Amino acid sequence: MTSAITSTPLAPVAASADKRIDGYLRIDTVRKEFDGFVAVDDVSIDIRQGEIFALLGASGCGKSTLLRCLAGFEKPTSGRIVLAGQDLTALPPYERPVNMMFQSYALFPHMTVEQNIAFGLKQDRKPKEEIVRRVEEMLALVQMGKYAKRKPHQLSGGQQQRVALARSLAKGPKLLLLDEPMGALDKKLRSQMQLELVSIIEKAGVTCVMVTHDQEEAMTMAGRIAIMESGRIRQIGTPDEIYEQPNSRYTAEFIGSVNLFDGKIDQDEKDFVTIACPALPDPIHVAHGVTGYSGMEVAFALRPEKVQISKQEPAAPHNKAQGVIEDIAYFGSHSVYHIRLARGMKVLCNFVNQQRWASEGFTWNDAVWVSWGDLEGVVLTS
Amino acid sequence: MSALTGGWRRFLPAPRWALISVPYFWLLLFFLIPFLIALKISFAKAAIAMPPFTDVLYWVDGFPVLKLRGENYLFLLGDSIYLNAYLSSLWIAVVATLLCLAIGYPMAYAISRLPASSRNFALLLVILPSWTSFLIRIYAWIGILKPNGLVNNFLLNLGLIDAPIKMLHTPFAVYIGIVYAYLPFMVLPLYTNLVKHDHRLLEAAADLGAKPWQSFLKVTLPLSKAGIIAGCMLVAIPVVGEFVIPEMLGGPDTLMIGRVLWQEFFNNRDWPVASAVAMAMLAILIVPIVIFHRAQAREMEGKLT
Repeated sequence: MTSAITSTPLAPVAASADKRIDGYLRIDTVRKEFDGFVAVDDVSIDIRQGEIFALLGASGCGKSTLLRCLAGFEKPTSGRIVLAGQDLTALPPYERPVNMMFQSYALFPHMTVEQNIAFGLKQDRKPKEEIVRRVEEMLALVQMGKYAKRKPHQLSGGQQQRVALARSLAKGPKLLLLDEPMGALDKKLRSQMQLELVSIIEKAGVTCVMVTHDQEEAMTMAGRIAIMESGRIRQIGTPDEIYEQPNSRYTAEFIGSVNLFDGKIDQDEKDFVTIACPALPDPIHVAHGVTGYSGMEVAFALRPEKVQISKQEPAAPHNKAQGVIEDIAYFGSHSVYHIRLARGMKVLCNFVNQQRWASEGFTWNDAVWVSWGDLEGVVLTS
Repeated sequence: MSALTGGWRRFLPAPRWALISVPYFWLLLFFLIPFLIALKISFAKAAIAMPPFTDVLYWVDGFPVLKLRGENYLFLLGDSIYLNAYLSSLWIAVVATLLCLAIGYPMAYAISRLPASSRNFALLLVILPSWTSFLIRIYAWIGILKPNGLVNNFLLNLGLIDAPIKMLHTPFAVYIGIVYAYLPFMVLPLYTNLVKHDHRLLEAAADLGAKPWQSFLKVTLPLSKAGIIAGCMLVAIPVVGEFVIPEMLGGPDTLMIGRVLWQEFFNNRDWPVASAVAMAMLAILIVPIVIFHRAQAREMEGKLT
């Protein structure tokens, strides 16, 4: 790597967002097989410069293998990885302008915080003064200056994480990889470190790919998310796109909770469709057109917080059903009602407790109406 | 614990003290007391008696008299054979230890990198020879190294040499014997250390730009320091006092302190000088033993936190 350390911008990149290069990192039909088992199945992703991109999926979906391909620990069976115009596919990890923050940090136990951060710089044979300056800069960035002479085992989990991040940023990599960044932290520290990590990464202005199985973490930290399943990408989008506009039953069910109504398209008009659904007495009315045909099997996905609950029958002509409250989960800020519809299907409804004691309005075995707006659900064709 | 049961139990030693006292009692009985006896004898004078030395502590007119003679130690300093034997023993121990390290480290490293299922088998192969008597195994080397032994016959038959090479009763044979016999003591502590290494540290080093050999020098080697020290001590300390191998494989000129000790004790029947030789050897060995224990203590310290 020839790029000088000093050239790494520490100023926020967000200001120059419009100048970001599209396809800064190109993952081009990358495939990885282990003894006939396909871990990564022809995945292609374009990642923009300066963005934080999350690979999200359950364990065994191939996200970690893909990350290891980016780092160079695994060699793709086929496909190419191109970073800023440079083909990395055949390069060993020690020749890639890529650095990784490992899941359990992998700090060198026999070295101090300082020495850990300086490791990569010494590998590049940088002049001594430059190394000292850069290490100080990194310590300041992660606010660990006081702990420079400590050994890793003398630090808390959160502090170790900062050191690991500083070490992976020290060389000014073109690409930063985070492997389950919050995996080793307890729950309370997580939410705090998530935002802190993002602000440090944005300050350093580095393009970042992270791997996580925790959707909350992905949605908090990443600008875009790729949902992976069985080695394939199911959907790529911003957190709100993925939540509000899932493209398949899999992503709808994987992210958050969802009510899925199976049915067939009944009327297929230009500006509305109706879906005949065996679980509901009347067809679902959707106030936009879909690419489909009459009689096509679809699923209607409706997030629980989009479901209204009431004692009286709603005034709207459609998108309502009667049921009985079977279970209540009280979370303080909101309650989740499990409502058994007359035809047997169970619907989840999130009810925000906007007024104090509002949750007392509904109780077990109450007969209620559920309803939803005609733009609040998503018609899934796969 | 209720007040009733706690009342009288308080006067009994705690169970852990009972556990610790057993090995300590063992060491006291079979190490400290013999040591004190040998120490006592080293201050006596050889005599034609039973046992063959003068009393150190005796009674005169009802009063105990302690008579310590330093002449045995002065004698050791006076005759250069003892100093040479000590130096030559240390030299042989150092060279043999380095040879063991050079052979044992790659072995231990390779075994620690094997799949977990085959590691134990590989270790078994390292330990297996010691299921045979040490004496027999060293004796077998005579058959391999002697002028009409396996190696010479093999080379003669191939026509690579015209006359047998003299290998037996040379320093070369002594090194072969020592390295052969003590290699497991190097491999086992090194393996125990290396197998615990986290492979992700090597990935981290590679990720930060270290080539495989640099990762080895900067990560694996420093982290295996405790194993290297343990292995070296386990080899070097007993080798200094080694008697059987130089006696059987070495020539008459192979000078080692264990042999000198044997000769003083059995051939000259000078127990006081033999005891003084042993005490001096112990004094020399204490330095590396202390280093060993400090290194071990440091490693333990690092683990606890």
